[in-house]
Amino acid sequence: MTVQHLILSLHQFWSQHDCIICQPYDLEKGAGTFNPATFLRALGPEPWRAAYVEPCRRPTDGRYGENPNRLQHYYQYQVVIKPCMDTIQSLYLESLSALGIDPRKHDIQFRQDDWESPTLGAWGLGWEVRLDGMEITQFTYFQEAGGHTLDPVTVELTYGTERIAMYLQEVDNVYDLRWSKDVSYGDVFHDSEVQFSRYHFEVADIVMIRTMFDSCEAECRTLLEKGLVLPAYDYCMKTSHLFNVLDARGALSVAERTGYIGRVRGLARGCADAYVERRKSLGFPLLAGSGARPVASFQGTPNRPPA
Amino acid sequence: MSSRRSTPVPAKKAPKPKRLSTTSFLLEIGSEELPWQVIQPAMMQLAVLMKGFLANHRLSHDRIQTFGTPRRLAVLVEGLAAMQPSTLRETLGPSKAVAFDAQGHPTKAAEGFAKSQGMDVRELETRDTPKGVYLCAVKHENGLPAAQVLTDHLPHLLPQLTFPKTMRWNASGVRYPRPIRWVVALVGAKALSFDFAGVRSGARSWGHRFIVDEKSGEASKGIRIPRPEEYEMTLADYGVVADPVWRRDTLAGQLARLARSVKGRVYQANHEELLEQAVFSLECPNVVCGTFDQAYLAVPHEVLIASMEEHQGFFSVVNRKGELLPRFFAPTNMDMINMELIRVGNERVLAARLADARYFFDEDRKVKLADRVQELRGVVFHKKLGSLYDKTQRIMNLVSDLAEAGGVPEMVASCQRAAFLSKADLVTGMVGEFPTLQGVMGEKYAAHDGESVEVSQAIGEYYRPRTPDDAIPETTVGRFLSLADRLDTLAAFFHAGIVPSGSEDPFGLRRSAFGVIRIVVEAGLNLNVTDVLRRAEGLVVEQGVKAGGHPFAPLRAGSGPPLQQFLEDRLRYYGRIVAGYREDVMDSVLARADDATCNLRDLFLRMDALQAITSRRAFDSLIVGFKRAHRIVEKEAWTDRTVDAKLLTHPTERTLRESVETAGRAVGQALDARDYHGALKQLIGLKSPIDQFFDGVLVNAPELDVRANRLSLLRQVDDLFSAFGDLSQIEVQGQ
Repeated sequence: MTVQHLILSLHQFWSQHDCIICQPYDLEKGAGTFNPATFLRALGPEPWRAAYVEPCRRPTDGRYGENPNRLQHYYQYQVVIKPCMDTIQSLYLESLSALGIDPRKHDIQFRQDDWESPTLGAWGLGWEVRLDGMEITQFTYFQEAGGHTLDPVTVELTYGTERIAMYLQEVDNVYDLRWSKDVSYGDVFHDSEVQFSRYHFEVADIVMIRTMFDSCEAECRTLLEKGLVLPAYDYCMKTSHLFNVLDARGALSVAERTGYIGRVRGLARGCADAYVERRKSLGFPLLAGSGARPVASFQGTPNRPPA
Repeated sequence: MSSRRSTPVPAKKAPKPKRLSTTSFLLEIGSEELPWQVIQPAMMQLAVLMKGFLANHRLSHDRIQTFGTPRRLAVLVEGLAAMQPSTLRETLGPSKAVAFDAQGHPTKAAEGFAKSQGMDVRELETRDTPKGVYLCAVKHENGLPAAQVLTDHLPHLLPQLTFPKTMRWNASGVRYPRPIRWVVALVGAKALSFDFAGVRSGARSWGHRFIVDEKSGEASKGIRIPRPEEYEMTLADYGVVADPVWRRDTLAGQLARLARSVKGRVYQANHEELLEQAVFSLECPNVVCGTFDQAYLAVPHEVLIASMEEHQGFFSVVNRKGELLPRFFAPTNMDMINMELIRVGNERVLAARLADARYFFDEDRKVKLADRVQELRGVVFHKKLGSLYDKTQRIMNLVSDLAEAGGVPEMVASCQRAAFLSKADLVTGMVGEFPTLQGVMGEKYAAHDGESVEVSQAIGEYYRPRTPDDAIPETTVGRFLSLADRLDTLAAFFHAGIVPSGSEDPFGLRRSAFGVIRIVVEAGLNLNVTDVLRRAEGLVVEQGVKAGGHPFAPLRAGSGPPLQQFLEDRLRYYGRIVAGYREDVMDSVLARADDATCNLRDLFLRMDALQAITSRRAFDSLIVGFKRAHRIVEKEAWTDRTVDAKLLTHPTERTLRESVETAGRAVGQALDARDYHGALKQLIGLKSPIDQFFDGVLVNAPELDVRANRLSLLRQVDDLFSAFGDLSQIEVQGQ
């Protein structure tokens, strides 16, 4: 199964299960959770079901293209469902079957892994899902985001697409993955890893990035005052990425690091508050019954064996 | 008459004592996978809750057994009474005096009470109580069936289970560590139906997620538990071993068998915790044996073991000589004939992990530890206490002082160098990845950098003792470094006013203090700890750390400022647990501990001698005599010590005088030589002179000068005993 086939299969599977298939959000981010389709949509009472691929940037994980398992840019496959349904675990396992992983032939374990994002002011309980000892998915029941207690609860599934693909293709080096029949992951991304590693670790202009951070932070606050929460949140995401670059560049002392995280969290909270207000003023339109409902249409039982 | 009424109700009114029929009860809470750490504690809670619940509801029972897997907590009650026994419920009302007027007619109070009980006044009885005679409503209550009691009350019982971390998942608002997906409740063959956490209880459970009974395919619809007693067997048919003890035995047996098959044994260090984790992470334990590339054995074995244990939960394997083998045992949750796919998968995951570890090992060695020390400026030790670089500076100063004070000035250079490098491994990639390898990696990297054996070994062992059972460092430099690090931590936190309270000790200060005591005592170091702590605090002050605590004062029993008290508590803990000293023995010695003698080693030598002599037969009567002398002097507040020989009229006085003088010199010499056994032996010799003195003379002589002279003599006796310790604290144990 090629990487693109894997993504298509997940799209196929989750669209059949009433998720809207979103496209990646066009800003740098450290995880799919930052996408407004997760962070903002998890807030408030409106139902939501979405699946999307998310390119993630983790500058500190850059290895100049030399490590077979670590990348500073990779893809998460993200599924968010609110309210979480009773059968989500078995549905998830069915999605693995759709990828050709038969849970009856492997050892799949749900190992406790509680999630917390200090920058988003968010936490949840869940697991890392292990396939024969390898972590392939992060499975989280969000409890709080942007300082808001979440009710109803959103469940988030984050598939490690490269990991799963490596398993399926039986390759030990991520760059050897077949992206399509003829093109490898390395063909597409290796040079990008080399260049961005060098940029983040050696070249990034610290002064400029600090200035950008300050500007984005100011813009975010201004936009919040003007009630433009979605543009404001864009700037919040930008600060988060700029912080990650500064961190990778080794530009931050510990105290500063804490300070920057606090500033991003402050913006995220502001956006969360404003988003809930905004949706409220619109009358929580998705509550009306369109979009991602109803729960009853979901199939499956707690441990229904995958088809 | 009333007393007769309060006796047990006559048999004909009581329910017929018939043989109660018994049944059994099962409760299973099915959930998504619980964190492994919570399962065992929850099982224990469940047993206690159930027991209390049944007692409260007058339901007798035999054995209560609990089960637990990641997906279920269950309790099975055998020999449960099918019905509550009938009971007489007595409710006291107003006193008889209030209840009836002078004519003997019931008052409003009596009528009101009767009404509230749904009875007529004439049906009320009376009871004698210590406060007088009171009206009493005696009602016969029929017992309810156990099934009904359980159905009614279980939904209120279950929320009483507590967990460290819980979540919500649906509109029920119930909190539990992970979503609850089913509840089984059975009394005998009867399923109880109640709602809890958004699910309806019944007889339906679920087996192993993936192991399905091929014939029936029943797991897809869930499985019916026919009766509580058949719970364990039914689950076993569907791939679930409900009893953790059984799972543990299975795992232990498989591990032993696999180890034998590769002529090795399971590496033991963290064996118990790994096993515990596996037992409570799996419903159907099955161990597979995998291998990894021999080439990785060039990486320090501690690293390989940490990769296997901490990241993967694998057991590592050593041969009979204790050398690591390129193999691992992975606990899995699947029991199939063909485990090849799973084995290969686990091998690939481990290979990637080991490649990462080797990468860190290679990368880390490219930078010398010494060149990393500056990086510690960026690592906070504690926000009030500066960076690890600041701490390094303090430890370097302190360890030199310790080496000087400890009489090994030739080791100062090594101590300082070890201190300088001691924290540098914390900023290596490897320790970032495996924090438990702190110290271990420092030693490897220091050796690689060409540091002396003395220095690198000290870096490798200064975190010891890590646990109460762990040995103290072996080398002198390691011991001093360990002491310096701990004493700095103690002085710094106490100086900043960050002090452990109750069970809260986030910075492990108790462990630090205990380590200090163990090293000083077990290594026999002659150190004045108070001096060192003062010096340590001075170094903290020099760095500009703001004071939030108490200044130092001598280590003394009773009310000291927190750090002294804190150390003393740890000292007593050590004395009690490790050395087995009597409390009064420790009291006596600690009461006399002051600046000059605050030498932990010395205190322990004194306690040891005193503890040893308490078993001598003469000891208790010696103490009786001494205490008598002590009380008299204390009561008179007698401070004069001059004894006039001419006024010593009675032979017992003269004998005592001579004995005190002789013993005084000998005790002085013995104390100087720290021969505490010898000093105490001298004191024992005073037993008869003291006893005879009190038999022979009256201290309160009519002549004032004779009286004063005798008091002075007793004052000398008191001084002599007190030179060793405050022996008035000793409690006489004899008859």
